[in-house]
Amino acid sequence: MSDSEASNYSDNENASEAGSVRSRSSRGSVRSRSRSPSRSRSRSRSLAKSRSRSPRGSRSPSRGSRSPRSRSRSRSRSKSRSRSRSRSRSGSEAREASGNEEPAAEEEEPEGDSLGSEEYDSEEDDSDEGSRAKKRKKNKGRYGGFIIDEAEVDDEVEDEDEWEEGAQEIGIVPNEVDEFGPTAREIDGRRRGTNLWDSQKEHDFEEYLRKKYSEDTAAIKHFGDGGEEMSDEITQQTLLPGVKDPNLWMVKCRIGEEKSTCLLLMRKFLAYQNTNEPLQIKSVVAPEGVKGYIYIEAYKQPHVKSTIENVGNLRMGIWKQQMVPIKEMTDVLRVVKEQTGLKSKQWVRLKRGLYRDDIAQVDYFDMAQNQVHLKLLPRIDYTRLRGALRTTQSDADLDKRKKKRRPPSKPFDPEAIRAIGGEVTSDGDFLIFEGNRYSRKGFLYKNFTLSAVIIDGVKPTLAELERFEEQPEGIDLELPPDKDDKSVTHSFSAGDNVEVCEGELINLQGKILTIDGNSITVMPKHEDLTEPIVFQFHELKKYFKMGDHVKVLAGRYEGDTGLVVRVENNRVVLISDLTMHEMEILPKDLQLCTDMASGVDSLGKFEWGDLVNLDAETVGVIVRLERENFHVLNMHGKVVECRPGSLQKRSISKYTAAMDSYRNSLHRRDMVKVIDGPHNGFSGEIKHLYRNFAFLYSVEFLQNGGIFVCKTKHLQLAGGNKSLPNSDITLGMEYMSPRRASPLHPSSGGGGVVGGFASPRGGGGGRGRVARDRDIIGTTIKITRGPYKGNIGIVKDATQSTARIELHTSCQTISVDRNNITDVGTPAKDGSASSYGRTPAYTGNQTPLYRDAGNKTPMCDSGSRTPLHYGSMTPIHDGSRTPNASSEWDPAISNTYPSPGYNPSTPGYQMSGPYTPQTPGTMYDATYSPYQASSPGYQSVASTPSPAAGSGTGSYGQSPAGSGSGNPYSTPSSSYSPNMPYNPQTPGAGLDVLPMTDWHTVDIEVRIRDSHDDAGLVGQTGVIRSISGAMCTVFLPAEDRVVNIMSDHLDPVRPQRGDQFKVIIGEEREQTGELLSIDLHEGVVKIKDDITMLPLQNLCKMRKRD
Amino acid sequence: MFYHISLEHEILLHPQYFGPQLLEKVKTKLYTEVEGTCTGKYGFVIAVTTIDSIGAGLILPGQGFVVYPVKYKAIVFRPFKGEVLDAVVRQVNKVGMFAEIGPLSCFISHHSIPAEMEFCPNVNPQCYKTKDEDVVIRAEGEIRLKIVGTRVDATGILFLFLF
Repeated sequence: MSDSEASNYSDNENASEAGSVRSRSSRGSVRSRSRSPSRSRSRSRSLAKSRSRSPRGSRSPSRGSRSPRSRSRSRSRSKSRSRSRSRSRSGSEAREASGNEEPAAEEEEPEGDSLGSEEYDSEEDDSDEGSRAKKRKKNKGRYGGFIIDEAEVDDEVEDEDEWEEGAQEIGIVPNEVDEFGPTAREIDGRRRGTNLWDSQKEHDFEEYLRKKYSEDTAAIKHFGDGGEEMSDEITQQTLLPGVKDPNLWMVKCRIGEEKSTCLLLMRKFLAYQNTNEPLQIKSVVAPEGVKGYIYIEAYKQPHVKSTIENVGNLRMGIWKQQMVPIKEMTDVLRVVKEQTGLKSKQWVRLKRGLYRDDIAQVDYFDMAQNQVHLKLLPRIDYTRLRGALRTTQSDADLDKRKKKRRPPSKPFDPEAIRAIGGEVTSDGDFLIFEGNRYSRKGFLYKNFTLSAVIIDGVKPTLAELERFEEQPEGIDLELPPDKDDKSVTHSFSAGDNVEVCEGELINLQGKILTIDGNSITVMPKHEDLTEPIVFQFHELKKYFKMGDHVKVLAGRYEGDTGLVVRVENNRVVLISDLTMHEMEILPKDLQLCTDMASGVDSLGKFEWGDLVNLDAETVGVIVRLERENFHVLNMHGKVVECRPGSLQKRSISKYTAAMDSYRNSLHRRDMVKVIDGPHNGFSGEIKHLYRNFAFLYSVEFLQNGGIFVCKTKHLQLAGGNKSLPNSDITLGMEYMSPRRASPLHPSSGGGGVVGGFASPRGGGGGRGRVARDRDIIGTTIKITRGPYKGNIGIVKDATQSTARIELHTSCQTISVDRNNITDVGTPAKDGSASSYGRTPAYTGNQTPLYRDAGNKTPMCDSGSRTPLHYGSMTPIHDGSRTPNASSEWDPAISNTYPSPGYNPSTPGYQMSGPYTPQTPGTMYDATYSPYQASSPGYQSVASTPSPAAGSGTGSYGQSPAGSGSGNPYSTPSSSYSPNMPYNPQTPGAGLDVLPMTDWHTVDIEVRIRDSHDDAGLVGQTGVIRSISGAMCTVFLPAEDRVVNIMSDHLDPVRPQRGDQFKVIIGEEREQTGELLSIDLHEGVVKIKDDITMLPLQNLCKMRKRD
Repeated sequence: MFYHISLEHEILLHPQYFGPQLLEKVKTKLYTEVEGTCTGKYGFVIAVTTIDSIGAGLILPGQGFVVYPVKYKAIVFRPFKGEVLDAVVRQVNKVGMFAEIGPLSCFISHHSIPAEMEFCPNVNPQCYKTKDEDVVIRAEGEIRLKIVGTRVDATGILFLFLF
C-alpha cells in the first residue's frame, strides 16, 4: 500500500542517508568545501564534534593536504568492506588488539617523521596534489580558525584512519598484492599508532585503538575475494612464525584417538618435566576435524621422536614425521567451518546392517570420530526370548530367523521387552536395552560411522516422516540443499525482507537488493549500516510483518495469496484472499507480493466454483483447489477431497431452473435468501442448480470459500414474489421479476424481456423442460441481433429458447434465439395491455424516461422498447399486489427529498450505475408513468440509482399502483408532486388523491398510514409538531409520545362538522377556520368570519385546543 | 484519514446528450461515476466538492462518444497502515470479526484480537468477550482498531486490523 506512506518512510531514511552521504563527501572533497564552507560545516559539524576529542586536533595542517581523491577512494572501499568484514572479525579483534600492544610499547618513533613520510608518499602518488594542497591551505587562512578548526578535527581523524589504509594501498595495485606481502611501510604504520602509547591520555589511546582496528579490519578486505589469506597474513604478519620459531611436525596417529593422545602427551610432558630429560616440545595440537594426525611443535625432529616414543596411538608415526612448511603453519590452525553437509535433523539412510535402507535423523555429528549419532526406529525382534527366559533352543532358532527376515521397525516397547525377559534399565531420559539407548518415544539413538550412512539425496517418504512424527513441511526446512544440484536452492528474491540467522550479524534485518547465485546482497535496516552487505543464502531467512500481503511459493497452498495475521517463530499465519481460510506457512515459502493473485483457481479443465459430477448421482462444487486435489462440496453439504481424474465436469445449462419456496423460478446468478434450513438467514447468489439443490455463494459465509448448498425450497428469490404458491398471479409475476428482466443477465432475463411472448415460458421454465411455445407462432417478428438482424419474418415454430422464423425477404426458414427477436406490427394478443400502453401519458413519459434511464443500449432496446412489453405490465398485475408489499418498498420512502438539486448518490450504492435520473423531471417521470411498475424496475436492475435507491429487490414494490386498494397513486405522489407537470389523477385514482405532497403543516391532525414500517403506529392519529424536510415530528396523544415519521406515511384527518381545520392545499393554505357543514365533497367553512366553500380534501383537522 | 484533493477523471458521454445541458450532464455523470468509488491510491471518494475544469471534449472517431477530461476536487477517505479508527462490528465468528468503517469493510483476525478475549460461539449473538465479561464484542458493537494491512480488491478495500 501507501505510496505516500512508503515515501514518508523512505524520505526519512533518505534524508538521513543523504545527510550522511553529504557529510562524507564534504569531508572527502576539499574542493566542494572550500567553495561553500558554511554549508558543509553545518553538515559535518555533528560528526566533527563527536570526534573532537580525538588527540590529533593540533596536529599537522600539512596532513590535510593529502590527496582528496585518493582518500575518498579508499574511504568508500573501506566502508563497504568494514560491513562484511566486521561480521566475521569481531571475535578476533580483541585478540589482535592485545597482540598488537606489545610491539607498540617497544617501538617509539617521533610522530612527525612518519607523518612526513606518509605525506610524501601520497604526493608522489598524485601529481596535482601539491597545488590542491596549497589551495586548501589558502582557504583555511581565509575563513579563519573557527570554521576550519571544526572541520579540521574531522579531517584529522579521517586522515588518521585513512592513512593506515592508504599505507597499504598506495603503490599496491590489488593484483600485485600477492607478491608484496607486508611492506615496510605497513610495519611502519603499525608502529606509528603505538607512538601514542605514552604521549596520550589513556582514553584517547583507547579510542585511537578502537578506531584504528575497526578501520584496520576494513582495510584488510581491500584485497577482494582471494584476499582472505592475504589479509590475515598482513595483520598477523608479525605474529607469524619465522625461521627462528619452532616448527610443526605432523605425526600420524590412530584415527579417533587424536584428542586422547594429545592429553596423554601432556601428561607425559608433565611427568618428564622435572626429570633430566624433559620433553623439548612446545605444544601438541589436535585440530578438530583433522583425522589421523596430530601436530607437535618443536625445534627439532629428535625432540618430536623422543616425545612420541612409546605412545601406542602414535606408533605408526614413529618413523616418519613431516614438517609443516612455515607458510602452511597457519593453515594448520585455521578454523574451518564444518565441512560436511551433515547437520542436525538432517535425514540419512543406512547403508548396511540390520537397519539397511532405514531412514534416520542425525542427532549430532562427531566429525573427529567420524561418527554420526542417529535417531531411528529400532528393529527389535520381540519374538526372541531374552534373559532368564532364554533357552538353547531359542538360540538355535536365532540364526535361521535372522536369515529369514528382519524384525519390523517400530518404536521401542519396554513392556514387550520385559515380556520376553529382556531387561530395560533407565538412564536419565533414556531407556537402555542391550546396550542401546532408546528415547521415551521409542526411538533408538545410536552411533554409526559416517561410511555406513548415505547422506546425499535422501528424501524421506511421507510415511517415514509420519513415523517420525514430524510435519511434512517442517521437514523440508531441515533438508540440506542437494549437493549435486548446484543451482540456486533458496527461494529468495530481490525485495524480500530478510533477517540474518547465522553469524555475528544475527537478527539484523534488511532487504534483498540483488541475488547472485547463492550470495545475496542485502541492504541492512540499521542506522549505522548504510552499505549493502553480501550474505550467503543460508545465513538469511525471510521475515514478515503482520499485515504483509504475501504469496505462497511452495507447499500445499502454493499460489495462494493472503494477508499475514500472525508471525511466529518459523511459522506465519495467513488469511487467504480467496477463501478467507487460515493457512500456516513456513516463512521461506512466502514472498511479498503486491498484486492480488487469484490464488489457485484452475487446475486443468477445472476451476474454482465449477459444478462437477462426483458419481452418477452426486454432484458438487469445487470449493478449493490444491496442487493435486480438489475439495468438493457435494450436494449434501459435505466437503470431500477428490482427485481430478475422478471428477467429471458438468456443462452449464443456462436454462436450468428450479422453484423457490414461493414458486418463483430460480436461475443461475439469481440472488436468493435462505429462509429455512441449516443456512437460514444467509443470502447469496445462485452459482449452480442441480435438481432441487442450489449451490449458493455468499461473502458472508466463511467456510468453503463462501459456497454452500441449500435445498431450493428453502430459498426465496430476492425481490421475488412473496405471495403464496397457489395464488393466481404467481405465474404472471414471474416474468416481471427484475432479476430476470435484467439486461445484465440476458441469459435468464432475455426471455422475460420479450414480454408478451413470455407468458407460457415461466411455467415451462420452472420445470426445466423444453416445450413448444404456441403463443407466438404466427406472429410477425423482427430479428434484433445476429447475422439476420433487421430481417422480418413470421414465427413458424417456437420453443422457449429458439424460434423458427420464415423470413419475409428470402424464402427461408431459420432458427433464431428467442432473445434475438422482437415482435413487430401485429397488435399484441393481450389487448388490454396494448391499449393501455398507448395512452397519452405513456408517450408523454416515455421519452424522458428512456433518455434519462439510459436504456438506449441496443440490448435493452430489444426488449424494453416493445409496446408489448409494457402491455404485459397491466394494471391488473399491479393491482394484484398486496398493499403491504408495495408500501414496504415504496419508492417514496427513500426519495422524499423534493429538492430538485438533490443528488441521491450515496457512495457505495450507485457505483455501477452510469446514469442517474437526477433531474426532478426524471424522477417524476419514472415514478408517475403509468408504467412505473416496470420502469423503475428496469432502472434499478441496471443498478441505476433510480428513486428506488438502487434496491433491486424492491422493484416490485416500487409500483405505486401496488396499493390497488383505493389510492393507488398517492403514495409516491406525496413527495413528488411539487414538480409534477402531470397530474396523476388517472381515472379511478379518485378523490382520495392528494394532488400535492406538501400539505403537511403544523398543528394538524394526521393519521399514520399503513405504509409505515411500525405496525404499532399504523392507524394512530397524531398531531404534527414540526416538519423538517420530509420528516414530520408527530405527537401521538394515545401513547403520549413524539415520533418522527416520513411525511408520506401520513394522511390528513378530515375535519368533521364543527371541527377546527386548517387549509392544507390551495390558495388559502395555512388558513384556519371552522367547518360548519359538509356538502358532499365540499365543506362549508368559516374562515375569519367569511363563509365559503372549500373542497373537503383541502382541509385537515386541527389539533384540539386544550 | 480524510483528504481534500484534486483528482482527474475522464467522462465518456453518449452523443444523445449533446445539447444545451451538455456540461450539466458531464457534471452529473462525474458525480455518479466518481463518488463512492475506491482506488488503492486515494481510497474512497466520498464526495466531489468542486469541479475545477471540464476540458475540451474529444470525439472518439467511429463511436461518436465524447471524452471530457474533468478536474475536480473531492473528499477522499484513505485508510493507512497504522491508523487508528473506530468501527462498527458487522459479524463475529471464529475466524475473527468483520467490521465496517463507513464504506470500508475490515476484517480482524482472531490472532489480532487480544488473547484474553475469547470467542463464545454458544452465546447468541456470537461474541468475543473477556473472562470477566468486562468487554464484550458482538455485532453492532463499536470497536477501535488499528489498521495493520490493507488490500484493495474489486469491491473496495478490505483491511486487516488489530486492536
